[in-house]
Amino acid sequence: MLSSDDLILQMQGIVKEFSGTRALDKVNFDVRCGEVHALIGENGAGKSTLMNVLAGRFHDYQGLITFEGQQVRITNPRQARDMGIAVIYQELSVLGNFTVAENIMFGDEKSGRWTRKLNRAFINAGARDIIDYLRFDLNPERKVNRLSKARQCLVEIACAVRRKVKLLVFDEPTASLGSEDVDKLFEVIKDLRSRGLAIVYISHRLAELPIIADRVTVLRDGRKMGTKNIGECQISDLTRMMLGHDLVEVFPEKTNKPGNVILKVNGLSRPGLFENISFELREGEILGIAGLVGSGRTEIVRAIFGADKARGTVVFQGKPVVDRSPYLCCSLGIGMVPENRKQHGSITGRPVSENLNISILGRLSGVFGFQSSRRLTRQAKLIIEQMKIDPPLPHTDIENLSGGNQQKVIVGRWLAAESKVIIFDEPTQGIDVGTKSQMYRLIMDLARQGRAIILISSELIEITKLADRILVIRDGRLVSQMHGAETDEDSLFAECVRKDNPE
Amino acid sequence: MTTDVRKQSAGRTKGAHSFRKFQQASILILLVALCVVASFRSSTFLTWTNIVDNLFTNAAAIGIVALGMTFIMIGGGFDLSVASTIVVCSVVLVMSMDWLSPQGAAVAIPVALLLTVLVGVILGAINGTLIAYIGVNPFVVTLCTMLIFRGIAQILTGGGQTQQVHDILLRRRFDWFYDAGLPLWGGVGIPMPILIFLVVFAVGIYLLRFTRFGHYVYAIGGNEEAAWLAGVNTHRIKALTYVLCGFTCAIAAVIFVAKTETAGAESHMGKELVVIASVIVGGTPLGGGSGGLTATVIGLLLLRVIDNLLTQFNIGPEYRPVVTGLIILVVVTVDVLAKRRGST
Repeated sequence: MLSSDDLILQMQGIVKEFSGTRALDKVNFDVRCGEVHALIGENGAGKSTLMNVLAGRFHDYQGLITFEGQQVRITNPRQARDMGIAVIYQELSVLGNFTVAENIMFGDEKSGRWTRKLNRAFINAGARDIIDYLRFDLNPERKVNRLSKARQCLVEIACAVRRKVKLLVFDEPTASLGSEDVDKLFEVIKDLRSRGLAIVYISHRLAELPIIADRVTVLRDGRKMGTKNIGECQISDLTRMMLGHDLVEVFPEKTNKPGNVILKVNGLSRPGLFENISFELREGEILGIAGLVGSGRTEIVRAIFGADKARGTVVFQGKPVVDRSPYLCCSLGIGMVPENRKQHGSITGRPVSENLNISILGRLSGVFGFQSSRRLTRQAKLIIEQMKIDPPLPHTDIENLSGGNQQKVIVGRWLAAESKVIIFDEPTQGIDVGTKSQMYRLIMDLARQGRAIILISSELIEITKLADRILVIRDGRLVSQMHGAETDEDSLFAECVRKDNPE
Repeated sequence: MTTDVRKQSAGRTKGAHSFRKFQQASILILLVALCVVASFRSSTFLTWTNIVDNLFTNAAAIGIVALGMTFIMIGGGFDLSVASTIVVCSVVLVMSMDWLSPQGAAVAIPVALLLTVLVGVILGAINGTLIAYIGVNPFVVTLCTMLIFRGIAQILTGGGQTQQVHDILLRRRFDWFYDAGLPLWGGVGIPMPILIFLVVFAVGIYLLRFTRFGHYVYAIGGNEEAAWLAGVNTHRIKALTYVLCGFTCAIAAVIFVAKTETAGAESHMGKELVVIASVIVGGTPLGGGSGGLTATVIGLLLLRVIDNLLTQFNIGPEYRPVVTGLIILVVVTVDVLAKRRGST
């Protein structure tokens, strides 16, 4: 064990609330110099919130932070940066139109005394020093938007190192990288660790932890479940800590029975994103689609729903659906619960009743398109009751609902529309365990009623527990089909990340 | 329905939303306060002539266009080409009426009206198609069509000559759209422009509040991508808001032509800014999602009353742009500040 002197960061009793809901509940967390500390938990467990506290994104958190032995209150991002804390987010924040060198030296440029002309030689030389020091394979004069995502990540790391970073946080860096790039990134992280940097590594991919992490802290529903040395624990222990002990109870019994084919997808392709995807979907079936973020799974279902244009055919109830658009699919009886609830799901600033009824307003309107508000309310109340949406107020703004309840409203939209095929893209992202299990039961109920379900999830356990069949998507191709009942999480994960050409 | 919404959500709404209502209420209060001040300071302010003729009748045509613009802006769009559209419509109206004058008023007026409305709708549809179906930025599209439409009017009028219906009888007949009215007691009445405005307002309220179209417009302004993924034909709805606005421009053109008896390619310069200003001052945000027609009317009246006050106090017209600009700036700045406070 290392002594506590090496602790670079200590966070004690961190509490952060978002309009009444506790995102973090008295969390303790510490990091030592020269270690990789993994922070894991489900979506919405509070990992990112904790790191956002550290990065100075909030000024109204409670609790103590000690950095390099000094008690600090981090209230803005600039302060965090000046202290030597850097976060590399999944969505990189490089400046695409700038060169690698300009990005690395950004904010530290020198210009001529009278002419105010940028001193390019200085920028390039400075960047070259950093790149050489880190032994990165980067050309300082290349435009960043012409680099791969993995290289762009290196640019961000170099930028942080130039700012004398002491603590580097990676927020799910591997979620959008291919497996080769992941290996390279791990080499870089290990190298940074050997240089004495403290590293926090956020992930929900448990399988990569033994390769990269020294210690691991598990968060669940904003609480810390424990910290362990990676050598002393099994992945299955971590899974239990992440999900809670009532793992089995969360999932309903499988009661659905697949019937006739309702949807047929044939040779669906979108260049660069996915290729030649073909499968069938039956009434009453839950079809899981597994794959890493960025594997093309979301793009595939969006193409089926007509949100993006793609080649290939979709046959619904025996009839080909040409010129697909969400508008057409919705009127045929296909619905989709999109991945990003805030951006693509809730119609912000509008009441719950409108959000619930938006897809069926045509059916609800009378002569001259008259929209009876009483009929809207009555219909909304029906769904609210069925979905147990809380608070049960049809006229309240959807933004006043918790994430889980907002998700119920969006699912409720397709219940109201009586869709025959419902696509769920990450339906449980960022919602609490209680609502999750309600969501699982609802999905199972829908399937039992004979509706066909397509379920995408990064929580592979959801797919293995709910789905009848599982399609594995890797790098935009359908690589294998598995049976839900015969598959466990680990083998499904292995299938998702397997390399095509083993060396 | 509205009162019951307020009651149920009052305890739960957050800063920005309650502020929006506060803002609308405060503008109404400001309007009333200005009227009170005006009526004390000026003996002519609270006269029927001043209120009906100067305030309302002059504002009616612009108000009708502001109603159309409100639809566009609630849906998150923008239209700079309304003044140019009015110009094209009025030129078409006058020229077609002149051309048809041998056929007699019974033919010339209805056909000319039909043609005008058709032109307004087509011009709106051009904007709508480019913006909604092709996805070009509304600011860019309508900036270009603003120039193009006015250019078309100049070409039609042979280089910007003021057009007039030569048949005096026909011209007098057409003035009905401005001069006629609903007679009330004591020899006063409600002028035709206000009647037309009230009809458009009523239809607009119905469309926006009580039909699927209206719900969709709000939904698109709230979150266009989400509405699209919920199965709303967002392209068509968005395009329709521009068509609707083009239609209101045609109606405004009818009133303007009836008032001035002429149409010129150089008239109505800068009116698009007055229209947009009314909508914004009323409380419909750029980006859409909320707001309403009543709010726009209040915004328009506020601008008109201030304008009227400046006249009453003999403040020169050179000060008006400054005052109008300042008012919009204050309203929008206060909105931004309050939103910032509401979010933290």
